[in-house]
Amino acid sequence: MSETALPTAYKDPKMPPPVDVPEGPEWVGMLKVFDAHAAETLVSAAHTLYPHQTLPERVYRRTIVAFDALAAKMPAVAQGFAEFVDLVDGAMPVPFRELSESYRVNTLKAIEATAAFRLVQRSTVRFLYDDLEVWQAFGYEGAAVQLGGYVNRGFNDLDWLPEPPPGI
Amino acid sequence: MMTQYELDDSGVVVIVGSGAGGGTLAHELTKRGVKVVLLEAGKHLTPDDFVNDEWGGYEMLSWLDKRTASGTWRAAKDHPFSPSWSCQVVGGTTSHWSACCYRFIEDEFRAKTLYGELPGTSLIDWPFTVADIEPYYELAEAKMGVTRTNGLPGLPANNNFKVMYAGAKALGLNISTGRHAINSIPYDGRPATIQDGFTITGDKTGSRWSTLNVEIPRALATGKLELRPQSRVTFIEHDDAGKASAVVYVDAAGVTHRQKARAVVVAGNCVESSRLLLHSKSARFPDGLANGWGHVGRHYLRHIIQTVWSIFDKPVHMHRGEIMAGMIDDYVRHDPARGFAGGYYIEMNSMGLPTTAAFLEPGWWGRDFVSVIEQYRNMAGIFMSGEDMPQPGNRITLTDELDAFGVPVANIHYDDHPNDLKLRSHGYKTLSAIHAAAGAKRSIEAPSYPASHNLGSNRMAAKAEDGVLDSNGRAWEVPNLFISDGSTFSTGGACNPTLTIVALAIRQADFMAKQMAAGEL
Ligand SMILES: Cc1cc2nc3c(=O)[nH]c(=O)nc-3n(C[C@H](O)[C@H](O)[C@H](O)COP(=O)(O)OP(=O)(O)OC[C@H]3O[C@@H](n4cnc5c(N)ncnc54)[C@H](O)[C@@H]3O)c2cc1C
Repeated sequence: MSETALPTAYKDPKMPPPVDVPEGPEWVGMLKVFDAHAAETLVSAAHTLYPHQTLPERVYRRTIVAFDALAAKMPAVAQGFAEFVDLVDGAMPVPFRELSESYRVNTLKAIEATAAFRLVQRSTVRFLYDDLEVWQAFGYEGAAVQLGGYVNRGFNDLDWLPEPPPGI
Repeated sequence: MMTQYELDDSGVVVIVGSGAGGGTLAHELTKRGVKVVLLEAGKHLTPDDFVNDEWGGYEMLSWLDKRTASGTWRAAKDHPFSPSWSCQVVGGTTSHWSACCYRFIEDEFRAKTLYGELPGTSLIDWPFTVADIEPYYELAEAKMGVTRTNGLPGLPANNNFKVMYAGAKALGLNISTGRHAINSIPYDGRPATIQDGFTITGDKTGSRWSTLNVEIPRALATGKLELRPQSRVTFIEHDDAGKASAVVYVDAAGVTHRQKARAVVVAGNCVESSRLLLHSKSARFPDGLANGWGHVGRHYLRHIIQTVWSIFDKPVHMHRGEIMAGMIDDYVRHDPARGFAGGYYIEMNSMGLPTTAAFLEPGWWGRDFVSVIEQYRNMAGIFMSGEDMPQPGNRITLTDELDAFGVPVANIHYDDHPNDLKLRSHGYKTLSAIHAAAGAKRSIEAPSYPASHNLGSNRMAAKAEDGVLDSNGRAWEVPNLFISDGSTFSTGGACNPTLTIVALAIRQADFMAKQMAAGEL
């Protein structure tokens, strides 16, 4: 990573603001569908799938809050998440979230072809990388129109390659 | 007040779909004094509704109804219920597109003659030549404000382009920022781009041409158009003489209506157009309307589309600015020495973090993926659109499952032809070589995302036994039924299809208006 400061990321003002997730274990209290075990198992799965060392725990929790909202709207999706938890817990004599990383990875590899895995993996990508804090961490600035776009804010500020001729 | 027509007014032309084809045709017909009812499944949104948010925009604009997929194409595995990508909104996919505007070249109108017999393909020549369509390309470019035509400057180079430029120059390739229906300077009452990078979620400033912001308002201003949003067409009826007589549609309240018609034009974006014809069965057309020869739904094309994402040592910020403003044309022409038929355009591509993560390689997880996506800031994207081969078995069919409107869900079957795979591999090598020459540390060959260029499934042909439509996009078997979208393409060509769809819609309007004046339609 380069030393320069990362530009600030913005969510479109019309989109819902990021959810506030408590730092302690009581965060599971905000969920509508998942119990504490299901929620922590899904957090652990999201971590195992996308183990970003620099991201705080709360972004993974927010991802699971988004799963929970989906599950509350769609019973079939709720069922899929429940199946996933059962599948990964049943793989070893220890609950999934207590397994070491290599066992967690192998457990997930063994179920890659299942619909439940696909649901969790795709949903993690969908929500984890749609998180303002993740955008900020990886250098994606998000919404721009409210700031006048990038026409005067660096759409052509790359300076480590030759400048193309005007009118190219 | 918008003009209103009665449901039993059999003097109106009914157009199904308000996107590139339908929205343009509505304007071109009403301009010529023709009465038009435009039925659109989606809502009528305004720029104020749009957001600068990739998933927010996707969910607001997309056609999200279920489809299924089969065959060897990656969409069947990666996107089994959304193998094709288009919009359901007034303006159709022109509310979302990134506005690359290239013309077919002369050779592409005679693919069969040029490529010869390729086993497994159902190639034909187009039923007209480049000379027939050229005047309409000119009209289309003028109305769309395509850069580098009519004295309009090209879009300026942005960061992602600088990467593409450095690589292309090192390899001696011919590069420019390309041609787009996006204003580089104010034009036609629309502003210049502010380079926000969000054309794909609606374009809040309107610097990009769409039927929502140009064609439909002007059609309404003629006083000849009635636009009915949230109107889902479920069936096309015909009379005893075999002419299209009415369309059945369901409104926002769930109420079913029957609009009589003088002529019917279907412009639902390929998959939906074939689906509607296949579903509109009758005693006279037991396999679907205009499907006596069995071509409806067949020869489906979706172009060889793919992106290479590369990581560099330093920041690129590819999300800043217009997302596809770069083009290399060295591989456009058919060159048998390459070992395959057809050519491809190299274009720039950028995505935000949310969709880069989703499309990089769906299904990819673990530490390697993480090490790539964490370097989003230093990523650049390069893309291609190339010609795929028509095959009769690549087709849209109806499944046994019904949607909420009682219409069978469509399945899209697509097997890659060996020629497609050769072109794909050649293209990936070229794209990666360009980024490597600019100093890429690592390149990821991303698979196709859901089909964005949907073509060929109701094709025009010189003879009724070779295709659904004649050279004006009129059904051979139903003289007042027309199609006006990419499904009419006889073969796919290599470039992004919309400029051609718009040019063909203008040409079709000319034909229809003349037929009407002559009392023949
Ligand atoms: C990500 C992406 C980027 C793209 N970028 C480019 C580009 O740079 N250059 C380019 O040339 N092309 C591009 N395209 C393709 C371009 O958007 C399409 O070629 C073009 O919009 C197709 O026009 P159409 O009229 O066939 O369909 P659409 O524009 O999709 O319009 C069809 C309309 O019909 C409506 N409809 C369908 N069925 C019914 C029904 N039963 N009843 C009522 N209404 C119905 C739909 O709701 C829709 O509004 C892009 C596409 C995508 C997905």
